[in-house]
Amino acid sequence: MTEGQGPWAAGKKLDTSTHRSPWPHAAGADPSPRVTPQDDARPRFSVPPASGQLATGFAGRRGRLFGLAFRTSLLTILTLGIYRFWMKTRLRRWYWSAVRPGGTPLEYTGTPIEKLLGFLMAVVIMAFYIGVVNLILMFVSFAVLADNYAAYLTSFLGVIPLWFYASYRSRRYVLARTRWRGIRFGLEPGAWGYTWRAILHWMVTILSLGLLWPRMTFALEKYKIDRTSFGSVRLHQGGKWTMLYRIALLPILSGLTMVGIGVWILYLDPIGPMVPDPFSDVRQLGPRNPERIWLLVLAGMVGCVGIVRYIVQSKAIMANHKTAGGVGLIAAPRTGRVLWIYSMGYFLTYLCMVLLMIPLLMLLGFYQLGFEPDFGEGPVSAIPEWVLIVAGLILYFSIFLTWSVLRHPLVTLPLWRHYAETLTITGEAELAQIRQRDRDEFSEAEGFAEALDVGAAI
Amino acid sequence: MSLFPPRTFVDRAIYHDGQTAAARRIQVEVMPLEKLLVLHLDDGAKLTWPLDEVRQVPDLAGKDQLVLRRAGTGTERIIVANATDIGLIRATAPNLGRKDPVPQKGRILRWASAAVGAVALIIFVLVPVMADQLARFLPPEGEKALGDATLLQIRRALDETGFSELPICDSRKGTYALRQIERRLAANADLPIDLTVHVLDHPMVNAFALPGGHIVLFRGLIDEAETPEEVAAVFAHEMGHVEARDPTRIALRSAGSIGVLGLLFGDFAGGALVLFLTERLIQADYTREAEAAADAYAHSLLLAADLPPHGIATFFERLQDSYGDEPAILQHFLSHPEMGDRIAAARAATPAFFEGRQLLTETEWQALRAICDRY
Repeated sequence: MTEGQGPWAAGKKLDTSTHRSPWPHAAGADPSPRVTPQDDARPRFSVPPASGQLATGFAGRRGRLFGLAFRTSLLTILTLGIYRFWMKTRLRRWYWSAVRPGGTPLEYTGTPIEKLLGFLMAVVIMAFYIGVVNLILMFVSFAVLADNYAAYLTSFLGVIPLWFYASYRSRRYVLARTRWRGIRFGLEPGAWGYTWRAILHWMVTILSLGLLWPRMTFALEKYKIDRTSFGSVRLHQGGKWTMLYRIALLPILSGLTMVGIGVWILYLDPIGPMVPDPFSDVRQLGPRNPERIWLLVLAGMVGCVGIVRYIVQSKAIMANHKTAGGVGLIAAPRTGRVLWIYSMGYFLTYLCMVLLMIPLLMLLGFYQLGFEPDFGEGPVSAIPEWVLIVAGLILYFSIFLTWSVLRHPLVTLPLWRHYAETLTITGEAELAQIRQRDRDEFSEAEGFAEALDVGAAI
Repeated sequence: MSLFPPRTFVDRAIYHDGQTAAARRIQVEVMPLEKLLVLHLDDGAKLTWPLDEVRQVPDLAGKDQLVLRRAGTGTERIIVANATDIGLIRATAPNLGRKDPVPQKGRILRWASAAVGAVALIIFVLVPVMADQLARFLPPEGEKALGDATLLQIRRALDETGFSELPICDSRKGTYALRQIERRLAANADLPIDLTVHVLDHPMVNAFALPGGHIVLFRGLIDEAETPEEVAAVFAHEMGHVEARDPTRIALRSAGSIGVLGLLFGDFAGGALVLFLTERLIQADYTREAEAAADAYAHSLLLAADLPPHGIATFFERLQDSYGDEPAILQHFLSHPEMGDRIAAARAATPAFFEGRQLLTETEWQALRAICDRY
């Protein structure tokens, strides 16, 4: 029952969409004494939340998540991908329930069956589009340009609008299946509006050489947030896009600096002739002042840090300007922490992958040295090829498995934990007024997103 | 005598009524004999849940809590957060872990068949029909570019190290001998496109044609042939495919199908899929009609070039004799059920007392056999 939004209403939705996966945090008051003894003893806040504020806890452990991710990924491989709908559902249930604003876990109520159904529906439409459109693009590209890269490019460009469309629809599905304190979140329909806005904003951002990037960040977030509800309460994204320039300056300036250095060392005072000039009888000189290349590297590194800082802090700034009646958010994620999680997490993941690859590669090498010559020349070597294919498949799937499993405990979990633990909800007293909203059936689920591989994180 | 006292209170529980976002502190009374769970709300109201309808919310991250719901789609929740209480609920609620029945089995079945039907329709009807039509309109330069791209893809896929491309064999004398065969055949053919002939250094006994007049022989095929006439027979057959533009159709078809199949399997098998389809391209499953047409073309071409059409028959027969039980080796040539017919047809196409003109000298033939030798 969607009732009118009273001015008293409160409810909160924060997009801490980390790792490409937008998901809602809810906030609200808990009138009872703290229900949850946290099951790990990490320090939460140096300062306890003031009255009327709710801290957000995080209850998940890496070991359990690893077990869940490993079992479900293995099943996905063994069922040729069918189980991926179950895997996704179970992992989401786990992550959602790990986040506890005010001690009450979020709940994910999406089902694997509806995902499977939505996927099948999308296949019927997308198979037609992809099959026919790919074929025509391939033909046109070879017939007119005698080249297939044009086809790949056009094919890619053609999918971009669908990608935005699918990401909005997928967000709508995920929000409709998220509850906190038994109350559903929701997102109004508006995928096409989002799609054309996103494309226009991207074009403007690119044409302005990134100077209007904050405008895009803010406008797209506002479009989504202003259509989001928690129960009977509509959320509101306050603030202005210019407030993001404080953090956008660093990446923009380092980008411009990189362009400047590039022009300097390539054109104004070239480090060295890139291509020897065949018409010049001057011998090619050695590079001049090649150490200047380090300036470029330095500016690039500053730019990368700036981009991560922008991504993290723009979410925080916008979160702090989100309201729903009397409820608000205080988000304080730390850029250094996020950088650390990403670099350590991916480093460890790749390290594990390399360690795992060594025995497999040795096996392959052993096979090549030890067995193949025995078959000698001639037609019998068709058998080694079969063995090679199987070995290649095992290699391929173990890379897939390692990557998809380790990413969860090493990267995604610490990120979620950090974003959760630095989030505080204000105005808890308003929560009791929020009413339930109707279920959004949305039978397509996230079929299109699944088919296009949008938001593959979870 | 019950195992549990009739009235047990679970303390420290939170109740969400599913109608408002309020969190209410409740006491839960577990009554195992009556098989009931009685919820005492803070305002004195009482609610009863049958114990056998109590379910837990699955895949909870924190094991310090238990979230309870009622069977069905209701939005009420009870959160229990005390180890003793969790143990008590687990011991008394008989169907805690049971899942709700899957509601839409019929719908899933219908959509699954619709999806399979749509994909089948696209891959087996729409894409082939369109590919056949489009292949006619593809200009020669476009066809050539398509062939170049495909050849590169095949060379990459077949390279065992996985990091480079399968080498092309091009010893000078061997290439010259190969050109002799090509000239002799091409002089009597009227192909719409110039031929490009390559030998790839691979032991597979195979040959195939690619779009844009590419004909590719594997080293294994030349090793296995005993006379240049046998190589010429296979060569002529592939020219028949070039003439009919069969490879162009297959390549366009696979362009349409790769994306659709990738869609079905998701990202997890994308790489394996491309390999599989490349394999398909090499093993080029042409229709019986296309094979028969290429054979007929080869027979008349060979006769016109004063070469015996039964070269392919002796070649096939020797392969069958040597490796009759090794299906993996002969899959390209021998897996077709009509292979016996093809051998018979090649023999029938050779006139009695046929006397051909010599194709290659013995020296040239040996040079061709050594085309992959370096120095």
